[in-house]
Amino acid sequence: MIDYRVSPETQARLAEAAEIGRKELRPAGLEADGRGAPIPPDDAFFERCLARGEGGTVWAGPDGKRATGPRRSVVERLLLSEELAYWDRGVIIAMPGPGLPENNVLSMGTDEQKERFLGPFLARDRPRWACFGMTEPGAGSDAAAIRTTARKDGDGWILNGAKCFIGGASRSDWILVQATLDPTKGRGAQRAFFVEAGTPGLGGFKIEKKMGLKAYESTSFTLDDCRVPAENLLGGEARYESSAGFKTAMRTFNAGRPQIAANAVGMARAALDESIRFARENDLLGRDRVRDRIEAISRKVRKARLVCLKAGWLADEERPNIIEASMSKALAAQMAQEATTLGLELVGLVGARGDHLIEKLYRDVKAMDIVEGTGQVQRMIIARTLVGLPR
Amino acid sequence: MFDLEPDDELALVLETARRLARDELVPPMRTHEAERSISKALSASWDEVGLSTLDVPIELDGAGMGCLARVHLNEALAEGDVGAAIALDPYGPALVALLETGGTDAARTLVEATDGGTRRALYVDARDAVVREDGNRLTLDVAWVAAEDAAALVLVDDAGARLVAEGLSFDPVRGAGLRAAGGARLRLEGAPIAHRFENPDGAARARARARLHTASLLLGILSATCSFSADYAQERQAFGRPIAHHQALAFLITDMRIALDAARLVVHEAAWRVDQGLPCETEAASAWAECIEIARTLGPNGVQILGGHGFMADYPVEKHMREARALSLLHGGFDAAIEDAGRALVATASPLALGQEGAL
Ligand SMILES: Cc1cc2nc3c(=O)[nH]c(=O)nc-3n(C[C@H](O)[C@H](O)[C@H](O)COP(=O)(O)OP(=O)(O)OC[C@H]3O[C@@H](n4cnc5c(N)ncnc54)[C@H](O)[C@@H]3O)c2cc1C
Repeated sequence: MIDYRVSPETQARLAEAAEIGRKELRPAGLEADGRGAPIPPDDAFFERCLARGEGGTVWAGPDGKRATGPRRSVVERLLLSEELAYWDRGVIIAMPGPGLPENNVLSMGTDEQKERFLGPFLARDRPRWACFGMTEPGAGSDAAAIRTTARKDGDGWILNGAKCFIGGASRSDWILVQATLDPTKGRGAQRAFFVEAGTPGLGGFKIEKKMGLKAYESTSFTLDDCRVPAENLLGGEARYESSAGFKTAMRTFNAGRPQIAANAVGMARAALDESIRFARENDLLGRDRVRDRIEAISRKVRKARLVCLKAGWLADEERPNIIEASMSKALAAQMAQEATTLGLELVGLVGARGDHLIEKLYRDVKAMDIVEGTGQVQRMIIARTLVGLPR
Repeated sequence: MFDLEPDDELALVLETARRLARDELVPPMRTHEAERSISKALSASWDEVGLSTLDVPIELDGAGMGCLARVHLNEALAEGDVGAAIALDPYGPALVALLETGGTDAARTLVEATDGGTRRALYVDARDAVVREDGNRLTLDVAWVAAEDAAALVLVDDAGARLVAEGLSFDPVRGAGLRAAGGARLRLEGAPIAHRFENPDGAARARARARLHTASLLLGILSATCSFSADYAQERQAFGRPIAHHQALAFLITDMRIALDAARLVVHEAAWRVDQGLPCETEAASAWAECIEIARTLGPNGVQILGGHGFMADYPVEKHMREARALSLLHGGFDAAIEDAGRALVATASPLALGQEGAL
């Protein structure tokens, strides 16, 4: 039956997230932005994350019996993502945990790999990170064109190449590196490898200076005759008889799109609330132009949020959501940019000072139209289904 | 007759300006941004070129080339680095504001207050400030100016202009952009008003010129972001061809260029009207609104075309995006612009009919 309500349990979780957001995420994000550098790995902030039970894995343990907490619907996860990003999107990405590649390991990894690579996250002895390295200086949207090579060498693999913009790479226990056995063979020749921190040949870490989302590091690195054992090929050799390797990588992105959209919605909502607060404090709410802007922002946020939740609901129903997932991201990312733009116009010159939350949101939110498939790529995906746009 | 070709003198000035922008403003722009000021060597060499006094009247030792020349020049310099363009310009719109409200003698007071333009003067629209006037004393708070020091301030409101040459206090702030020119909250606490020029009509023209001044700086940034991203898109390959050759980007780049060219004509025409002594207030307000409106999307689109690379400080487009937004907030921003433009339009029966001496 049609129902747009959010369950009391979800409401309680959102309230909890808001509390953490207010106390921890927002201040940490503003501080990192002011400093212009990521939160250092040894910052007490991360210890507190662990103490709250964050930074672990949803892997159920070697015997499959470990309690992994309540299973959350995609809709609930999206709402939580929205709430957390409302407080600070950069800080959520900075949080410890197996991050982006966790899903790949869960869906494709061998039992031994789950234990080796996710197992340590159960310990919570110290903050740990992992990350997914796909993008290269020469290939982003066109992920099939990556040039990092993997060459069989005895019972191991030798990796060579360069990656860029990889979130948390220099602090990660391991990086799931996407590489190709033959650059001329496209997607089917791609494989993913666990490259552990400290492996000889993995180096040249350079933390990029970026416009926003400064709380977490986006890092370039190189693989220079970097040797990894056979056991580090995700899923083991047998799994790669078909073109499944590339598909798994893409599946991470599929699951991620509405998530990014939800982040954008949260950030836009933050801009809206800041706009209203500013207008109230400065006695501007009576002005038509101010009210028009607030109305426009809130209408945009509302519709983007609904499109995003629909994509999540379809996923919960296990119904195809490829169009909706892309739609949500294409719409929400642009909407949020607009919302922050209008918000800045509302606060006026205060916004140019460089220390106002809306100005930070204006910079942070740009990335939402770039990461995990740019706005153009989302439109390509939609158009393929909608009007048969050729690949 | 309708003719858009600059005369030889202006063409020469612009050629010089573009060369200087390319050779002297672009390469050190990240250093200037980090250091929050331009290098001494650059200011010294700039003084010799004499570009900053292009629209200063001949009686005040300027080139007397007028408003249109000035907006052309601003655009050329801002296309290199807008922060540096501001830092290198001693008067900004402050001098012409006094010229419009009090004539040459008024403008001369500013030349004197800045030691002949060796120190900067700031222009502030009262709509961007909290202002209190008490007899001859001015108390004022501006959230952000692109400066950390100045010899004088020209404040313009509906009634006219005021010149203040002492008591300016700057609290540095990070600034969303234009850091090469510095960035601070500006305050006056009962500072003495050195001169007051009551002249509502002049004030309206001063505001029009100030808007055009900033609009042309904005055009420079947008022009830089358009050309940089279009060039990049022809180099960068994805899916087997230059990204510019995917229709989605080709059309985006095309639309950006259309928006820019159209806005530029609107700004230039309004500036031409200033020089002709024609009414220019509505046109300037409308031109400013147009520039702000296109900047809302052109800035972020420049970043978008570079994808993840655009988000990184290795490329200038993220700087363009921030600086375009910061500049767009000046002069009361978009709202004051459409308010001013709209007010005159509804008072006219046929606002776009051909006017005085065939002027559009
Ligand atoms: C903050 C941030 C964090 C990131 N984190 C990670 C990470 O953790 N791991 C990781 O692997 N990557 C990461 N990335 C990289 C990100 O996934 C890529 O930047 C993104 O996929 C775009 O690739 P690109 O930057 O190479 O842009 P390009 O692919 O070069 O695209 C440039 C422009 O061309 C457009 N374009 C490309 N192809 C077409 C087409 N066919 N039709 C129309 N337009 C087209 C794009 O939309 C874009 O506008 C991150 C990026 C950022 C900004």
